[in-house]
Amino acid sequence: MKFKINRDHFSNGLAQVLNVVGSKATMPILSNVLIEAEKDHISLTTTNLDLGIRCKIKAEVKETGAVTLPVKRLATIVRELPNVDVGFDASPNHQVKLTSGGSNFRIMGIGKEEFPPLPEFGEEKSFTLEQAELTMMLKSVSYAQSTDETRYILNGVYFNFKDGKLSLVATDGRRLALISKEMEVPAASAGSIILPAKTVGELLRMLDKGEKLKVSFNDRRAAFQINTDRDTSGLVDSIYLYSKVVEGNYPNYNQVIPKETHQRIKLERELFLQCVHRAALVCSEKSNSVKIKLSSNLLEITAQSPDFGEAHESMAIAYSGPELQVAFNPQFVMDPLRALTKDEVFFEVKDEVSPGVFKTLESFICVIMPVRLS
Amino acid sequence: MLRTIVHLDADAFFVSVEQARNPALRGKKVAVGGRQRGIISSASYEARACGVYTPMPTSRALKVCPDLILVSHTSGLYGEYSRRLFALCEQLTPLVQRSSIDEGYLDVTPCGFKSLGDVETAVRKLQMRITDELGITVSFGIASNKLVAAIASKLKKPRGFVVVPHGGEAGFLAPLSIGKLPGIGEKTEKYLNAHGIKIVSDLFERTESELSSLLGSGWRELLESARGVDHREVETDEADAKSYSQQETFGRDIADRAEIERVAKRMLEELMRKVRNDRKRVRTLTIRVRYPDFSQASAAHTVPESSELETAFYAWIAPTLDAAWKKRRPLRLVSVRLSGVDDAPEQLQLFSETSDKRKRLAAAVDALKQKGGEGIVVHGSQIAAASSSAAGARKLGVKRGDGDPGRRDKSEFGRE
Repeated sequence: MKFKINRDHFSNGLAQVLNVVGSKATMPILSNVLIEAEKDHISLTTTNLDLGIRCKIKAEVKETGAVTLPVKRLATIVRELPNVDVGFDASPNHQVKLTSGGSNFRIMGIGKEEFPPLPEFGEEKSFTLEQAELTMMLKSVSYAQSTDETRYILNGVYFNFKDGKLSLVATDGRRLALISKEMEVPAASAGSIILPAKTVGELLRMLDKGEKLKVSFNDRRAAFQINTDRDTSGLVDSIYLYSKVVEGNYPNYNQVIPKETHQRIKLERELFLQCVHRAALVCSEKSNSVKIKLSSNLLEITAQSPDFGEAHESMAIAYSGPELQVAFNPQFVMDPLRALTKDEVFFEVKDEVSPGVFKTLESFICVIMPVRLS
Repeated sequence: MLRTIVHLDADAFFVSVEQARNPALRGKKVAVGGRQRGIISSASYEARACGVYTPMPTSRALKVCPDLILVSHTSGLYGEYSRRLFALCEQLTPLVQRSSIDEGYLDVTPCGFKSLGDVETAVRKLQMRITDELGITVSFGIASNKLVAAIASKLKKPRGFVVVPHGGEAGFLAPLSIGKLPGIGEKTEKYLNAHGIKIVSDLFERTESELSSLLGSGWRELLESARGVDHREVETDEADAKSYSQQETFGRDIADRAEIERVAKRMLEELMRKVRNDRKRVRTLTIRVRYPDFSQASAAHTVPESSELETAFYAWIAPTLDAAWKKRRPLRLVSVRLSGVDDAPEQLQLFSETSDKRKRLAAAVDALKQKGGEGIVVHGSQIAAASSSAAGARKLGVKRGDGDPGRRDKSEFGRE
């Protein structure tokens, strides 16, 4: 196997697959990237058995073949090579000679036979989406995923293709974010998956390479074929991402979304975010909450920690309802405000033990549970 | 006035309290402890003279001192005396730190005393008052900091009263045996003795590099202590519990895992009631096991979110017990401890239907037990214990808190 490749293209390709490696102890091969040379490109594949990524980069292939190399070290070396032209030459005993200008590297590889194959995937259910739109949707909800491993069902983003729309949901049991978009969902293709947090992270990293992507899934696996038509650094065809899904029943999220609106206020997103952020600066681990108080045309935010001090912020708003106050974990307030891009958001509250609800006109909802005022 | 700290240390506290209640025991060889298989938790000075110490297995204590009068624990009594003891201390200064049931620090700096002599007079009055009102004796140490005061109070027990003047700390400590310093346990003391360090002043004969190789990284702190330097404040907010724990010594060594698991579950339930009663939540469950040879092991599990419900921990009892109970040998004691006490405002949950129900159920059960006693309602797993091991508890020798009235038809109770 032998090919010539542009250093920056090679480096870019390795960067796409770099994050997906297995734990070295169980299977050393999972720390390696599978490099396959065919026709006018090379394929780079990594997997940790739960998640696999494959991308293709253009290359001048002189001799087809395949080998695997430790991906982290290889990526570091390729990035540092002195010349933009890189020669790659693998011998039958899996030793790779890497040449660039005056640099020569000889790297020990492992044969491709040991590398676990990515799952074969029949097209059970599939949809085509816009990359930019999916990015926006994922960013709108992904912060609400749970990181608590004992609640593994919540360690991901729920994709629900149903009733003429795609809904994405994430929750950690204390807050819940939901966004949906209308799209054609044939009855036969309706279905849902819980995409693991790690896959969501990788997907978000890839979703600016082109116009469209195709998502396919069944009960156990999901695959994303991401077009790279906007990429200018060597990627060709598509990036493929294969992932196991979290198996289990996602909680019935509709039941925790308040059906009635009690007090609704319109807020300047950026301003509200800044106020909450400043107030939260006095919070501590032990007293991690900000109190939001509504009175006639006034919104006040206060926070305090006994051993540090207190903060008070106020904003003029249009409000004529009853006076009320409710406390929240400041992070839960700031996360959706940061993820959104609209200038204005709606915030609905009822009383000190009922959830607060952020809404935008784009079918976005974020429900956050309060901290009990003591 | 310069900083002045008083350390109070009750003399043979449990025994003194029993003697106060029953004066016939005074001046005799008395110990408080479990009768058959327990441990001596407190011994009178007369008993100590015969070689009884704490903690010591009761069986051995009876061997070294056959005429020992053994008094079993009186539940609730010592806590009550402790409360009264510290209440008297608080009349001297509000800055009182209880470091245990029978020990504490008093900061008398801001009390307006003009001299150390004035402090001495006031503390002597307090010592007398404690003996008059409670019928127990206590020892006091007075010094410029907690470290020296604590060492001073233990120096001339019982009825000790040792005052270390300001500036006299190093001189006071110098002739004391090295084991009096905090952090020097029996083993370290032997080790240091073997290297020629017997009394505190011996430390100053050594170079820094010698000390560092003898004592490792902690040598600087030890040298500070040896000089009588201690900047710790008296912390008054220690009244809040930092953990909740309970232990049970079995009537005979038990190897029945299911039975031990049930005992642990019952202790968990009882502790959780206390947690709820204090309006706290806890995060960490620790199970400790003790083998017949007194060797012990423990394991812990921390849940991601603190809880006031036993249901948050039920599932972790078995794995935690397994992690602690590694040797294939029966157990003589098991203890359950709940720590990571949390009283921050509660974060409400979205999918809380089940936990809200459980909270209401727990509140109802707590109220019932408050009214009708422990046995009025018991958990399903405890019923199973009663029926599966027949005459069960007594046969196994397990002391049961829940009495017979609770053992009704099994079908009335759901299993967890």
